[in-house]
Amino acid sequence: MPRWWSKVRYALQRRRGLDDDLGDEIGAHIEFLYEENLARGMTPAEARTDARRRFGNSTVTRERAAETWRFSAVETVLQDLRYGLRSIRKTPGFALLILLTLALGIGATTAIFSVVYSALLRPLPYPAVERLAWLGESTPKASGVSVTWINFEHWRNENHAFAEMAAFNWTDRTLTGRGDATLTHGLLVTSAFFHLTGWRPISGRLFSLADDQPGATPVVLLSYEFWARTMGADPHAPGEVLDLDGKPYQIVGVLPPGVKFGRAVDYYLPLGPAASKTVNRSQHGSIRALGLLKPGVSLESARADLDGIMRRLALSDPGPEDDHRSYAGSLTETVTGDARAPLMVLMAAVGLVLLIACANVASLLLMRGVARAREIAIRAAIGAGRGRLARQLVTESLALAVLGGAAGVLLAWWWMRALVLAGPASIPRLAEAKLDLPVLAFAAAAAIFSGLLAGLAPLLAAQKLDLTLALKEGSGAVAGGRRGNALRYGLVVAEIAVTLVLAFASGLLIRSLVVAQTSDPGYDHRHLLALELQLPGGTYKTDDARRQYYSQLLQNLRAQPGVESVGAVNMPPSAGESSDFWYSIADQPAPQRQDVPITLFNIADSGYFSTMGIRLRAGRWFSDTDKPGGPAVAVVNEQFARKWWSHPRLAIGHRIKYGGPYMPGDVFQIVGVAAGVSQMGLDAEPYPEVWLPFSQQSSGAMVVMMRTAGSPAGLIAAARRQVASLDRNVPIQSLKPLDEWLGTSLELRRFLTALLAIFAALAMVLAAGGIYGVLNYWVNAHQKEIAIRLAMGARRSAIFGWAAGRAFRLALAGIALGAFGAWGVSRSLGSLVFGFAAGSPWMILGATATVMGLAALSAGLPLWRAARVDAVRWLHDF
Amino acid sequence: MSTVDELRDKLELLQGTLEVLILRSLRAGPNHAYGISQFLDTQSDSQFVVDNGSLYPALQRLLQQQWIAAQWKVTPNGRRARYYRLTPLGRKQLVAATSKWQRFVEAMARVLAPEG
Repeated sequence: MPRWWSKVRYALQRRRGLDDDLGDEIGAHIEFLYEENLARGMTPAEARTDARRRFGNSTVTRERAAETWRFSAVETVLQDLRYGLRSIRKTPGFALLILLTLALGIGATTAIFSVVYSALLRPLPYPAVERLAWLGESTPKASGVSVTWINFEHWRNENHAFAEMAAFNWTDRTLTGRGDATLTHGLLVTSAFFHLTGWRPISGRLFSLADDQPGATPVVLLSYEFWARTMGADPHAPGEVLDLDGKPYQIVGVLPPGVKFGRAVDYYLPLGPAASKTVNRSQHGSIRALGLLKPGVSLESARADLDGIMRRLALSDPGPEDDHRSYAGSLTETVTGDARAPLMVLMAAVGLVLLIACANVASLLLMRGVARAREIAIRAAIGAGRGRLARQLVTESLALAVLGGAAGVLLAWWWMRALVLAGPASIPRLAEAKLDLPVLAFAAAAAIFSGLLAGLAPLLAAQKLDLTLALKEGSGAVAGGRRGNALRYGLVVAEIAVTLVLAFASGLLIRSLVVAQTSDPGYDHRHLLALELQLPGGTYKTDDARRQYYSQLLQNLRAQPGVESVGAVNMPPSAGESSDFWYSIADQPAPQRQDVPITLFNIADSGYFSTMGIRLRAGRWFSDTDKPGGPAVAVVNEQFARKWWSHPRLAIGHRIKYGGPYMPGDVFQIVGVAAGVSQMGLDAEPYPEVWLPFSQQSSGAMVVMMRTAGSPAGLIAAARRQVASLDRNVPIQSLKPLDEWLGTSLELRRFLTALLAIFAALAMVLAAGGIYGVLNYWVNAHQKEIAIRLAMGARRSAIFGWAAGRAFRLALAGIALGAFGAWGVSRSLGSLVFGFAAGSPWMILGATATVMGLAALSAGLPLWRAARVDAVRWLHDF
Repeated sequence: MSTVDELRDKLELLQGTLEVLILRSLRAGPNHAYGISQFLDTQSDSQFVVDNGSLYPALQRLLQQQWIAAQWKVTPNGRRARYYRLTPLGRKQLVAATSKWQRFVEAMARVLAPEG
């Protein structure tokens, strides 16, 4: 490759003298032609002109010759780049403004994408994760409920769709014998679970088929974190014994650090021995299953396969749940499902911010394009092709975008740190968000996209440049031409529209948050301390033992100074997870099997309602007369009562059949009706609910509520002492003011609302800048015209009105367009809007007023300048 | 009008032919760009259009291949001009290219010749 080598050598010699050589050579060539002409008898002037003409375009010749020495594609880009960077350096303020705008947009977009990627897109760390399915049962009313152990065994043994299937079930157990009793978290699994997750132990072994058998020796597999924390990473741990709920488990192995399935747990226990005690197909625990689809099998056909098994079982082993079928969803989607909607809203919002940023940059570039119109015209006149000019412009905007993108990545890093710190726990894998390769690739793509998008406008304007006009000295028509104006105004209209959409969406969410925070949750949430306990099952086996424990504890707590009253409930408001079950009303016609209604069933003691400050609508609360073995009673809430009767008071005396008409179950008489309490969180409407008295339906898991005279936090230490003194082996699950519980129920909403508000604010600042810039430019371009109008006797107020009219028309067009978008947004936000109708006109009016105000504010200065044009000075300049 | 017709009648140079023609023009001895274009014009009976926009880049490519070398010299009538001369490598290339072109021309002629 001698040619290539010559070029390299030449490049290394820094092309000294080449241009001079070529110039001199061409000069000599023309001299030869000149002399030839003279010899033919032309006059010197003729000879000179003819020589030049005959030689041809010497500049192009010289450039083409010089070009052969370059690595052409790279060189032109480098040349464009050099030129672009030079023009950036020459106008640092302008460039800084563009960089800042792009960095803001790209940074915010990248940060949100890093969260979205981590939560939704990054594959879960299991082999063949795309074939992993989350399995459960589905009923005519609900899908994805737990699968019973016996059904699971049938599925595992009789299916044709899965290569392997494992069951799992989260469990909480009390650890004793290693310091204070603590509540620990475990996952019950069948041995196949570890094949599906692909985990290998770092010491000891995993579970084997033998561990799945009923009556197997109880064994436990430790998580690395638990092993390090509780056992000091003792290498001899395998073989030792762990006491869980008072029962010894032999440690068989330790898992590697960092592995987890869903939430992190302390250890894994074999599910088989515990679950195999169930005797019928309708005995539900909280078992879910994980299946590895055979290659090429779809979720639908897998579901059909399992449904077939369920149908066969309904015939061979009939029971109350013969209408149950299967549920199979992709594991990835199941894990990420809840966070999807809010994250998509954020991604869309931040994408809109990026678009506004691009629009601003585009309009800045357009304005500079006008300032450079003459330069571009000259380049075109001396032979630069349209393609070459376009490449130059695009290279310049890409250079800006890449610099902006780099700055944006830095910003994104800060943003992301803030998101991880402030983000709610309900966004899966948020803490794992990082600026890794896919995220950086996204940032690069966003930067290039922005560069091309922003570069498009000046390009379109430049294509229409009228050379003769542009080259004329002082021509007013240079102002980017008609197309440039249309583009600029279009950009402003788009910015206003997008800003309106964002303002409207964030308004909806802010209002929802305010409603959720201030709405009456049905009880008095202040001055309440919530103590969550879970009695170890080994020690507290009987109803009596549990009742005994809680009645003693409540009595002790009530005696504490500062405690006004005490009550206990199984599931406190906003606890989220709660148990619903079938029921029927005894004196109503029995519903069809598939229409049996479902409601929340909760357990509360006699002091609970008054302690919480829940209002009584009719009847009475539980009392000490509701004894075990006595007439079974229930309190229902208003929502429940209204479902069946026209007035809460009419519910009193009716009887509820637990489990519905097709299942054995107790019957409870309604003795009281409570006002609605929203069980699912502050931002959810109250749901029909039934409370059963603790005295008749005991549970080991209760939350003790203490109404305190002062700050509830002040009683935490005392409450902890009381629990410890009653029984050291009862672990405290949580102990915190109820307000903190409630706070977490709004965490995701708060996070989403705050971010959306920030994006809307960012959009407003950018749009304000955009409006200001374009109007200011318009005033500059029209100063002469204004001066003439003034000279012709126009009043300044008329000038002001003329300019303001233009601004107003732009704003109006933007708002009309934005209103369309807002209408779409109000439909797509759906469940994120709480407590009022998203389509209510007030919100859109409010958003419109805000954006109008914004437009007026940013148009103010340019309009003022328009009205203050100094006619005399301008007319002198003519 | 006649110039337009003249231009239309002239032959467009095929890709790669200009380089061979330049090498050939230098076989007689070193020459400058003007001289080369004069030579090509007269030798081809003004049949070839050699525009300077092609000649100069072609010269650079030959320099890069090291088939020719350049040197500033003074012309007989006292002007400075850049003279190109064939290198030994260029001489070999010229021989190879000439035989290749002759084969090409003969083949073209055989194919295009009237039947019989």
